[in-house]
Order: sequence, then structure tokens, then C-alpha cells
Amino acid sequence: MIRLLTRRLLLGAVTILCIYAVTFVMVVTLPGNPFQQGQHNLSVETEMALRSRYGMDDNWSFFWKFLGRAIRGDFGPSFSYADWTCTQIIADALPVSMLLGFLAILIAVLVGVPIGALSAVRRNGWFDVTTLAFVLIGVSLPTFVTGSALLTLFAVYWPVAPIGGWGTLAHLPLPAITLALPFTAYVARLTRAGMLDVLGSDFIRTALAKGLSRRVVITKHALKVAFLPVLSFLGPATAQAMTGSFVVEKVFGVPGLGQHFVNAALNRDVGLIMSTVLVFSTLLVVFNIVVDLLYAWIDPRITHAA
Amino acid sequence: MSKLWLVPVLFILVILAIFSSTPPRLRADFTYVNPSGIHTLDPARMSWTQDFRIALNIWEGLTTRHAKTTEPVEGAAIFPPKVSEDGLTYTFTIRDDARWSNGEPVTAHDFLRGWRRGMEPGTATDYTYLFTQHIEGAGQYVRCRRDAVAILTAFRRLQDRRSITIEQAQQLVAIAESFAFGTLLGGAVIEASPPGAPCPDWKWSEFADRLRSGRSDWPRARDEFLDDHIAEAEVAFRQVGIDAVDDRTLVVQLVNPCPYFLDLTAFPIFLPIHVSIEQLRARFHGDPYTAEGLVVYDPQWTKPDYRAFGYPGLITNGPYIIDEWIFKRRLSLGPNPHHRDAPRLGCRTIDMVTYDNANAAIMAYEAGDVDFLPSMVVSYDHEIARLARYGERPDFRLCEVMATYFLNFNCTSTKVNGVPNPFVDRRVRKAFALAVDRERIVEQVLRRGDRLAHSFVPPNTIPGYTPPDGLSFDPVTGRALLAEAGYPDGVGLPPIEYLYTDRDVQAAQALANMWSRELGARIELRSLETKTFAEEKAAHRFMIARGNWYGDYNDPTTFLDCLATDNGNNDSGYANPDFDQSLHDAARTRDSAERFAILRRAETLLLEKDVPILPILHYAEPIAIKPYVRGLYPNRRVWVSFRDLTIER
Repeated sequence: MIRLLTRRLLLGAVTILCIYAVTFVMVVTLPGNPFQQGQHNLSVETEMALRSRYGMDDNWSFFWKFLGRAIRGDFGPSFSYADWTCTQIIADALPVSMLLGFLAILIAVLVGVPIGALSAVRRNGWFDVTTLAFVLIGVSLPTFVTGSALLTLFAVYWPVAPIGGWGTLAHLPLPAITLALPFTAYVARLTRAGMLDVLGSDFIRTALAKGLSRRVVITKHALKVAFLPVLSFLGPATAQAMTGSFVVEKVFGVPGLGQHFVNAALNRDVGLIMSTVLVFSTLLVVFNIVVDLLYAWIDPRITHAA
Repeated sequence: MSKLWLVPVLFILVILAIFSSTPPRLRADFTYVNPSGIHTLDPARMSWTQDFRIALNIWEGLTTRHAKTTEPVEGAAIFPPKVSEDGLTYTFTIRDDARWSNGEPVTAHDFLRGWRRGMEPGTATDYTYLFTQHIEGAGQYVRCRRDAVAILTAFRRLQDRRSITIEQAQQLVAIAESFAFGTLLGGAVIEASPPGAPCPDWKWSEFADRLRSGRSDWPRARDEFLDDHIAEAEVAFRQVGIDAVDDRTLVVQLVNPCPYFLDLTAFPIFLPIHVSIEQLRARFHGDPYTAEGLVVYDPQWTKPDYRAFGYPGLITNGPYIIDEWIFKRRLSLGPNPHHRDAPRLGCRTIDMVTYDNANAAIMAYEAGDVDFLPSMVVSYDHEIARLARYGERPDFRLCEVMATYFLNFNCTSTKVNGVPNPFVDRRVRKAFALAVDRERIVEQVLRRGDRLAHSFVPPNTIPGYTPPDGLSFDPVTGRALLAEAGYPDGVGLPPIEYLYTDRDVQAAQALANMWSRELGARIELRSLETKTFAEEKAAHRFMIARGNWYGDYNDPTTFLDCLATDNGNNDSGYANPDFDQSLHDAARTRDSAERFAILRRAETLLLEKDVPILPILHYAEPIAIKPYVRGLYPNRRVWVSFRDLTIER
């Protein structure tokens, strides 16, 4: 276990470093000037002063300086929102994205797993077919469509939820459900496939043969095994839900990190691009490690294989 | 496995705890939407309208602008100030009751501090030219500071063993004689060149390399230079024509009589700054100057709740103060208790909220969460314009802003991306201009209710100035001109590249269509994302490029200056000494009518003869104001003042 953990952590650190280096090269070679604001072209003198003020007149030293500070949790100033540091921006927005992402994953598991299990048990029945249709819609419809549809329905025509924003409980359900939809669909599919696999296996037949009730067999024995593929999906999915909620954030006006991530790229806000990429990639790596460990805990064979 | 059920339960409890611990906020008296968040509240650095809007409500310059007409009116100084006979000396007297939000009186020194920040290379960005163009000695001061920053940057790079540019090497040699470190350079000079002064074909790059590889005590040289420069900069600043005679008297010496100077003093870069900011200069950086000689302040000084180094938080002198500022969510304003207008303010609390999505902002407005939308940039803006134009929605209005959408013709590059550029010939420019049917673009393609533009300066915006008629749609003359230039029916023209941003597809396609139909030209449309577009345009890498310009103050020069030969915003690369001379002459003319006549001749030359640009339209900005809001005037810049605002629900 310890060996697995150290190996994973080391690999994770190397991954993050590589992501940092690649992002840095892309940011530096990208056309467009990070210091230009408003309608005025930047004069040579102003650009020089700004570059030296932000330590950007030399890419190589900026690369190391930024990395050194980032390790200590100081991401420096934002280039296009000069009054704020990237650390402040992230500290403000990351909890929002994390909360929304967790909530979406929670919904996905709580709704997706029972649906998947039930449709596997009632294979090819009407329930299976209808859920399959819903799953297909959930996977293929982009969130800006489902989000806008939910918003129009529940905030405009039948105003039970606010139009958008953040701060009260009422702001939560619509964006969380929108974000949860594709994950729910996927979780349901995974559970169904896993369940079908397990239901045909020997130990289930044995359990049924020794007289356990069908309900107990399915919930206690089959589901535990069928849940494994879902669990391995949950690691990257949680990271994805927390970091990839940009569209949902935009539709519902949620002040999360995703919008800053995209706007930073559009504004060529070098500091904010680098820091959001670092934060997102760290999250992704960490969640993958957590899932690997959970997996090893649930299924001890994994540790031996490693 | 069964304990896993605890996870969701705990999580939901946490969420409930988080949300129930923050009490619901009361709705502010007035709420408006700021489309993309505040970029900065530092008056020296700001260049976005939405930032100006907040700044001009929390600070007050020597003058302010009338909410309806945008004419300069009384601000922190008694209006009008004393102006000398020749129009060059302005004496401002600060009002008795001008107060900072902590109760201290506003002094002339506060203006001196703010204006100096507006000139400093480390603090100011786009609008420094308003000082260097108009105020005596400001140009010299800024040049002295900028040169020093270049030299000190060279020192730092040499110290880090990094290469320096040839210009920097030249600057170093130029100053070498007057410093002890000159001997450091001297060694390298002697090694790299024959004795005596460097001759014209001297290899500067070799010299720069030699400096880099030589082992010299650069930090000492830098300190010596910086000490000397600081003293020199103080002297240079005393020569600048801004003088705080006493706490309440500010005397400003101009280079030329500037009839719109009182309009400028209402502009954000001319705002006063409270003395408490100095605590965030020396102590923030550990040194009043950086190694490159820049003056830097802790950029967080604009926060009302920032308390580092004993800083009391942002102190301002306008009718409002910032109560709370949450990044890209909300900025709340409350009355400044020490401002003379505080008891009369109709709105005690104002919230500026940010919606990244214009659609969501409109929905929030429709739901009544928001009282004012200063812009509505959505894909269905023609529909909004229609509702506003025909009175179906009296709360939607089209604001005729002081701004022009135009085309830049590249007058300077003989080749663009390897293709010969026909637009260096003014006949080709004129032919392409004559082939554009603006009415079609405005009325049938965009349908946003914009005004047709025949001139660069929007008509009816500057009292006393009538812009020239400009060119009209005349494809026959256009074809004749094109033939005269050697391209009959477009034969021989290279493929013409039109550069635009991805938001402007419709207009671009319409233009391409007109040029190919009327002139037989082959048009290649090249759409770029905004930032990349800006870079290509500034570097003249286009044949025709879309452009737009928003006027900053009430004078034709806010537009016409852009086309002066050396102006940094001259994207077309237009250079005509006659035009420059006219601008120069106008700057020296006191009589307003005569001055406007000179400027009108210059604009006529621009629009009808040389045609470096083709104005297409003057924007009509769609805005929405709830009917119960009174005293909010959609003026030409949408820089609304909240001073007269009342809500009659």
C-alpha cells in the first residue's frame, strides 16, 4: 500500500510538472498580448515597464520564478484583473466549483446506480428501454442545452428557482442537476453493464441456490461487485465535474473556477492561466490517486498486481 | 459498504450549514449589471468604460461631468477655475468642503500625487499621453523616467547574464561618461572597437555580447545610476507644470491652450489619490523603487478591506464609497458620509453585479432582480433594437454613444504576408471606400439601429464642430478610380484580405460581397479571436481591417489624433505631414471656431482625399432602464453618474 502510494505520488508530481511545462510553452507562444487592455495599442515603453513589473521580460526566469512561488501557494497577480492575486481568485472560486461538482457526482451516483441496477435486473423490459432512451439523451445533449431548457422551464415559465447567481440554497438545484445529467447517464450505463456481468457469474448462482432472497443477492452481493467500474469512473468524473463545469457556470451565473479558466485564456492572463491549470491538474491527479487507493482497499488483488 | 451512505448525508449537512450561516442579503436600492467584472480600480491604469463608471462615482476630480450633457461641471474644485489671458495657466482652488471618506480635507497635494502616478511608467498605462500632450514639462519627465527604466532593465539583465538589445547597449554607452561605472563599459568599448567614439558600422550586437560575458559589478553600477536618477527625476518633476502652491491651490501650466482641458480634468487619470497609498509603496516592495527603477504599489490598494502594512483600506473622495467588493460577483457602494452631496443621495445602496452571460443578465432584468443594463450584447440584438426603436419596450433605449466603427486600409506596408499591398495607392483605397454601401450594412445586415457614419468624428456630439460630409456610395466612380490605378474591373488585384474579429461575421460577409460585386475584387475573409486580432492590427499585418474607436473627451482630437503619424493607435499606418501640421496648428489656436475649422479641414483631407479609413457607422448601444428609475441619463459614453439617481417604485 505504502509503495503504491509513493509511486503514485511521484508519478503525479511528474505529471503536473509536465502539464506546467507544456502549458507554459503554449502560453508564451500564443499570439496576443497579455498586457493590452481596452482600445489602446500598447506602447513599447509601457509594455517594457509592465513586463519587467510582472517579471515577464525573460521567459526562462519567469518559468522558474512562477513555479517556485506556485509551490508555496502564491500564484502572483492576475494580469487582466490587476487588483487581485490569482490565489485570491482561486480561493474564492474553487470552493464553489468543488461544491457544485461534488453535488453533481452525488446526484449521479444516487440516481444512476439504482437506475442501472434496476434496468439490468429487468433486462429488456419497459423500464430498461425507457431508461436507455433517457441515458442516450443525457449523454448526447450538451449541458448548455439542458441547462438553458431547465432555466427556461423552472425559472421563467414556472418561476420556482432564481435565474442565476449564487449564495442561497435555491441557487443550487438547477446547476447541480444540469451538471449531473451526463454523469448520471454514464453511471447508469456502467452499473447496468457491471450488473449484467455479475448476475451471470457463479457466486450469484450459488447465493441464489442456497436460498437467499433475490433482493438480498442483488443489493448485498451483486451490487458490490458491479459498483467497481463505477468507482473507477468516479475519480476522473469528480475531477471533471469540479473543473469542467464552465458551461453550467456560464448558463447559471455561478461564480466558479471554470469561467475564470476560460476567460483567462481569452484574456491571455498568463498568471491566471498557469495557476488554474496547475490547480485543475493537481485536482485531477489527486482524485485519481484517491480512487486507486479506494480500489485497492475494496479489491485487494489490485495491490498485488502493482 | 453500508457506511458509505454516511458520505452523502454528511455532505448535505455541510451544504446546509454553509448556506444557512450566511444571512440573505437585502436587495440594494439600485442594482445594475457590469458585463465582465472590474478590470482595475486604479485610476492610473484603467481603460475600460465599466471601470470608469465606478471610479467616477467613488472619486471626484477637479471637475466632474454633467450627468446629462457630459459637459464639465464643478467637482472638488471651485468652478470655473481662474484661466490666464493666454489660456495656458489654470489656477484651481479646492473647495472648502472637499473631503476624503475618512474626513480629511482633499488637498492640492493629493492631486499632485494622483497625476504623478498617471505619468509613472510603473503605474500608468494607456492615458499617460493626456499629460505629456498637454502639461508643460510632463513629456520630459516621462522620457527621463522611461529611459532610466530601460537602462536599469539592461543592468538587471546583464547581472543575470542575459542578452540586452542593441538599443539598450547604445543607451548604456550614451550615459557611460557621466558615471564611475563608465570605466566598466569603457573596457568593453575599447575591446570591441577601435579607439575613439563608436563609428557608424560599429558592431553593437558584438558589444552587447561582450558586456554580457564580461565580469563586472553590475549591481554597484545600477545602484550608482539609480541614486543619481532618483535625484534627477525629482528635479524633472519639479519642472512639470503642476504646482501645489498651498493645500488648496493647484496651478497647472499647459503647453498649448487646450479648450477642453476642464473636460480632461474629469477623466479618471486626473483623479486625486489619498496619501495613505504611500504606505503600500515603500513597505510593500521593501524599496521605493524596484531594481528596474519602477515605482510600484501593492496592487491591492483599491480594496476597501485591505489592511496590510497598516493601510486603512481604500479612501476616496466621491459621493460614494465601496462597501464590499467580491471578485467578479458583486461590488457594493454606499454613501460617503463626508461628501457634501451625501445627504441628498437618492440611492443609499448600489450593487454592481456581474453576469458573464449577457443572456442571463437580460433574464435577471426581466425577472426584476436588476434595474439597469448598461449594455446588451447578445445574438438577438437586432430584435432588442427593434423593440427599442418602435417604442414597444419604452424601457429599452438606444444610446447614441461617441464611437465609430470603421475600416482601416493599410497605407504603409508594401507587402502583406508576402502579397503586394495595393492599398498603398490612395486611389485603390478610395475605390474600395466608394464601393461600400453603408446603408445596406446598417439597415439590412446589422439592423441594430446604429447611425450611418460619413465621418470619423460622430456628428452632433461636440458642440460647435460639424464633421465633413465624407464619401458616399458611388461604385461607378470607384470602378473608374480602380481602373486608373491599373486594375480595370479588378484585374491584376491580388486576393484582398479582410481582417475582422469572430464577432463581426455578418458585416464582413456583406463587405466582401460589395467589393467583389462592384469592383471585381477577390476577397479573403480572415477572422481572428479578439486578442490575436488586436496584435495583427497593431502590427499592420492586414490589407483591410475592422476598427472601432470610442471618444474619451469632448473634442474632435480624441478621434483625429489617432491618425497622426507617430500615434500608437494609428493602425492604418497613415502618414501625411499636412494632416499632422493641421493638428499641430489646431493645438496652437485659441479661437474655438477657427480651431474647429482647421480640424474640419484635416478631417476632410482624411476622409475625402487620403482615405486611410472608412467610417461605417456610429454605435447605438442598447441599454435597459426600469421605468421606476429616475435621474439616470444614458449619455454619449454611458458613464452614468449615480448622484441624481432616485427610485420611484
